[in-house]
Amino acid sequence: MATLELDSVRKTFQDDSGEIVAVDDVSTAIDDGEFLVVVGPSGCGKSTMLRMVAGLESITSGTVSLNNRVINDVKSQDRDIAMVFQSYALYPHMSVRGNMSFGLEESTDLPDDQIAEMVSETAELLGISNLLERRPTDLSGGQQQRVALGRAIVRDPEVFLMDEPLSNLDAKLRAQMRTELQRLQEDLGVTTVYVTHDQTEAMTMGDRIAILNDGRLQQVATPLECYHEPANQFVAGFLGEPSMNFFDVRFERGVLVGDAFEYPLGPEVREALDGTTDLVLGIRPEDIELAETASNDHDFATTVDVVEPMGDENTVHLKFDEGVETMIATADGFTRISAGDDVVARIPAESIHVFDRETGEALRNRSLDSKTLSAALE
Amino acid sequence: MSDAEIRRADATTRVARLRRTVQQTSPGEVVLYAVLVVMAGFYLVPIESGLVTSIKTNTAIIGTAPYAPPGANGVTLEKWGTAIDALLRGMGNSLLYAVPATVISAVLGSVTAYGLTMPTWKRAYKAPLIALIVAGIFIPYQAVLVPLTQFWSQWVGIAQHLSFVWALGVPDDYAGIVELVITHVAYGLPICTLLFRTYYKTMSTEMIESARLDGASLRRVYRRIVLPLSGPMFAVVLIYQFTQIWNDLLFTLVLVSTESSPAAPVVLILAGLGSSLEGQDFALRMAGAFFAALPTLAVYIFFGEEFAEGVSA
Amino acid sequence: MFDLYRRLSGALGRSSGNDNASGNEARTDGGVVSDRSVPEPGSESDPGPLARVGAAVDRRLGSDFLESSLFWLPPFLLIALFVYGAIIWNLLISLTDYRGFANAPDYGNLDFEMYTRALADPGFIDAAVNTLILLVAFTGATLAVGLLLAILIDRGIRFENAFRTIYLLPMSLSFVVTAQFWLWMYNFNNGIVNLLLGTVGIGPISFLGDQTIVLWAVIFALMWQFSGYAMVVYLAGLRAIPTEHYEAAQVDGASTLKMYWRVIIPQLKGATISAAVVLMVFGMKAFDFLYSLVGGYRPPNGADILATKMVREAYANLNWAYGAAIAIVLFGMALAVIGPYLVYEYRRNNL
Repeated sequence: MATLELDSVRKTFQDDSGEIVAVDDVSTAIDDGEFLVVVGPSGCGKSTMLRMVAGLESITSGTVSLNNRVINDVKSQDRDIAMVFQSYALYPHMSVRGNMSFGLEESTDLPDDQIAEMVSETAELLGISNLLERRPTDLSGGQQQRVALGRAIVRDPEVFLMDEPLSNLDAKLRAQMRTELQRLQEDLGVTTVYVTHDQTEAMTMGDRIAILNDGRLQQVATPLECYHEPANQFVAGFLGEPSMNFFDVRFERGVLVGDAFEYPLGPEVREALDGTTDLVLGIRPEDIELAETASNDHDFATTVDVVEPMGDENTVHLKFDEGVETMIATADGFTRISAGDDVVARIPAESIHVFDRETGEALRNRSLDSKTLSAALE
Repeated sequence: MSDAEIRRADATTRVARLRRTVQQTSPGEVVLYAVLVVMAGFYLVPIESGLVTSIKTNTAIIGTAPYAPPGANGVTLEKWGTAIDALLRGMGNSLLYAVPATVISAVLGSVTAYGLTMPTWKRAYKAPLIALIVAGIFIPYQAVLVPLTQFWSQWVGIAQHLSFVWALGVPDDYAGIVELVITHVAYGLPICTLLFRTYYKTMSTEMIESARLDGASLRRVYRRIVLPLSGPMFAVVLIYQFTQIWNDLLFTLVLVSTESSPAAPVVLILAGLGSSLEGQDFALRMAGAFFAALPTLAVYIFFGEEFAEGVSA
Repeated sequence: MFDLYRRLSGALGRSSGNDNASGNEARTDGGVVSDRSVPEPGSESDPGPLARVGAAVDRRLGSDFLESSLFWLPPFLLIALFVYGAIIWNLLISLTDYRGFANAPDYGNLDFEMYTRALADPGFIDAAVNTLILLVAFTGATLAVGLLLAILIDRGIRFENAFRTIYLLPMSLSFVVTAQFWLWMYNFNNGIVNLLLGTVGIGPISFLGDQTIVLWAVIFALMWQFSGYAMVVYLAGLRAIPTEHYEAAQVDGASTLKMYWRVIIPQLKGATISAAVVLMVFGMKAFDFLYSLVGGYRPPNGADILATKMVREAYANLNWAYGAAIAIVLFGMALAVIGPYLVYEYRRNNL
């Protein structure tokens, strides 16, 4: 039904100091009914990208097409796109019913009774039927959020755009709404672009996620692909909490030489490096195994610096005995471990990521055998 | 109460609390209140003196201090009667142009401010337009008077266009009233636009964008979202603008010109009231001044907050 | 349209089971949104040259330029005609010799005669000097009094609203009305000012008759009328300063006077600038006040300013061109004040 396509989209702002590039050459296609989450640090251009799709921001170059029709010059009001804002942007002088009817009244010629019926049904779906006659100012944050959502849903638009819609809710409500939103989207099957800076939302909600940094698209893939097979060092570091450990290393004589350690590589990895010598070694905290004694050349002697107990697991800050480098490992919540302990950190060969230090490009990602993948998908 | 007022009130109490804790000393406060009261006297005495003088007989004016009440046998309402007789038609004339001019300039100001604030177009093009409008607030009207006279008397000739009205028995001096309405709208528009623009800049842009995405055109957004939310600012602008137009003398002087004209506004009649060859009749002048000031005083007393907001914007 | 509601009701009755396929099917079975005014892809006709030009203009100037021009353009043209058109016209008239009862100026012969005449006219020089004195003294005095009042009011006093209302009261009155009050205040025999001075052994003084004093008397009366305005502006400025600044200064052991002088007043720069600009403009409009003092075009000797001289030359003496020239000088003075102000506001992103 509705496919959305961005082709070489670029947005620049004029500033006193010159030209600022907010979105740089972004191309991606969103399939009908797909839930795409756009994620990135603040200021990466993700909201600007969304606003260009909505027609709230002009497009410097490139095209945005909806159902293969270029909509660059189509005004917001004619795009048949609904957007949920972070601030909800409810109309304060209208009741909830008025807020939800507004879009249908403005964009269709439907008779009043039909609009009323549609509003009632949508309200029922969202569980806000009892709020229809209230004013937005009388509602709690969560209720306002639902009204904002209902206002978008009732219009049955071609595309939903959501700009951090959950970030004003408290943590518990946010988790609840996350699931609910996901289910709604699945049921309605409306093409959705969802912008967030929250990687939990990115990982859990989207069919695919698009990671944006400095206005450039870093990777568009399923959440698990992005997590396990990041396209570059930025993606690897952005997804995951605590984030991936990185070590600057040089490739010498079949070995990665770091500040504090040397890490021997297998033939398969060596080949993947393709002659690049300035590298970054990456390892996820949960892939680091803690042991009592060293048993092979992937084991390193470290000292525990700080332990942050999270309940289900411990975040352990480790310091290499040689050199100044540190890393973070996660250990089971029941592991008895405390600051000052000497532990051996094992960095399994199959879990390492290797990046080109100059370009950040991933040269080698962790190997995903079927066992790990199915475990991850479970 | 608007947000700004709440914040203001909040700030007041914070400062107040701080003051109370910082200086428990009462002598300082005594001086503070003494100064405040003296200053209040300074602002009120000219007005109070005018008020008591307006009800004094000619002998009481000479016999009593200018600020003192007239005493039992020095009271007369005769001057008020004379003043009202002289000014009443002027009052009507003033209302005849002040009310329409106020309403039109407020509505147009709201529309203009909306067009220059909410829709998105480049600031590099918008700013010069706004600068020209803001500059319009500060133009000394002398700089446009001669062309204005030329424009109305030689070019437009409203008196001829409205001949069917004069045929109904309305004196053709009332052409001046029509000219005054248009003139005041034109020169009042800049300040009205600025006031509304200040207000609209505080409105949520996401709300407007949301309405656009909901399928509303700019016109519909204005009609259904912005206008219904403009109520508080309309109060401010209407009050401010009414006061300004009612009080203005210069335009009435050059457009209506003589106080003997049947269309003469109240300020024009008042400016010449009470001076004659025998000297100045102060009681009559004071009564006239008060009578002419009644509408603006009433507005000020009932809508003081909005007036303060209007002047400080 | 109805398939949406099929999907909605599907969602309503949804259990934990997996039925997302039904949603997708409903989406793809076509024939939806037929009652919608959205054009189907492909069925849309060519937008036409006019629409394309419109889109090009919007791309250049911003997406809403054309649609929004309906709102701001007509009022803007009205302002442009009455303000800027009139000023240019006025400039043109000032270059002619237009005077007397002729209906229109003769634009065939333009020169700067009126300006040279102004420079040779001692009355003009006096008026210009008086205007400058009035602007500077009136603005300075009004700001000072206004600031003092604002600080006093901001000290957390009781009856704040009452005091504020009283201080601002004169501002709501017309110049014509306040002129009557001050005529009476300054009265030689019975005026309150002379009465007060009499108690300390001065006077009586003929405030409005003495050329050397009259301008200052007028400035004082104007200050009375507008210091409440300066107070309101300063009060808003003071209220915008966070309480912490007062507290920090107190903790640092600054005396109250020092705190205001070193910490608070420097932060009122913005309020001072905007209040000063507005006050200067009020000062230039003092015509109404001076006219009403005497009930005629000639203000008391020694109090003639450019605003009164301009109107008198044009409307009493019918020296239209000469009046227009004086008006241009007055406009130049105003521009010298507003120009920098607008640049300042633009830099602060207020335009």
